[in-house]
Amino acid sequence: MSYDFIETILFALLTLGIVGGALGVVFLNRITGSALLMAFTFLCNAGMFVLLGAETIAAFQVLIYVGAITVLVLYGVMFTPQQDRPYGLFFQKQTPWAALFVAPIGLFVALFAFSFRDGSHASAKGGDLVPLATSVFRDYAFPFEVASVLLLAAMIGAIVLVKRDDE
Amino acid sequence: MNIPVGAFIAVSSILFFIGVAGVLMRRNAVVILMCVELMLNAANLALVAFSRRAGSPDERGSVFVVFIFVIAAAEVAVGLAIVLSSYRNRPTVDVDEVQAMKG
Repeated sequence: MSYDFIETILFALLTLGIVGGALGVVFLNRITGSALLMAFTFLCNAGMFVLLGAETIAAFQVLIYVGAITVLVLYGVMFTPQQDRPYGLFFQKQTPWAALFVAPIGLFVALFAFSFRDGSHASAKGGDLVPLATSVFRDYAFPFEVASVLLLAAMIGAIVLVKRDDE
Repeated sequence: MNIPVGAFIAVSSILFFIGVAGVLMRRNAVVILMCVELMLNAANLALVAFSRRAGSPDERGSVFVVFIFVIAAAEVAVGLAIVLSSYRNRPTVDVDEVQAMKG
């Protein structure tokens, strides 16, 4: 007996979670709710990675996005007082122009994405840890080191930006 | 595995354009940062989908996803620092009202 239908059901549920969560981030009035729905969207995206057979990337996703970035954003929400505001003050003034500008690009990308036919299917050939580690530490060792320098620079920059210099 | 790659690409494009809509529409700077994260996540999904499709020789796409994780962490840390220091000068996080660099 084949269990292939379970994957389809999981894919449908995760798609619902991603689209619903992302729409909630954009349209929710309470900003804390936006942040938590963002974490939910990240979690559903990790499920997508598992479905694609990239378990290591899914683990990184949960650790970095659902863990670190969500906590950072929640700190940002905490330090800036938020008040519920009327829906008229919710969106920026240039929203109609922006929609007019983005709609053609969105239509184009959507047409491409929905008409994408590969013939081959997404494959799950064992874990992805060994090939990923081989690629990172052999072929991409130098960009990896550059990324660590970038993280250091960002950390110092963030500390300098929020440091009080009033003594 | 019976889900075609195109389905993942479609979900990724939907997520990306929801993020674009959020960046262009919302006034709150913290929400704009969240929507940028959504867009980066959509790019991650597309990269992993292309990387894991049948016949691809190695995990190059996943390597770039790891680098995008690093960029996203740096971006959100510096972005929140800028929002907080701007909030300290003027008590607002509305991007419409922060005009310190307007000519």
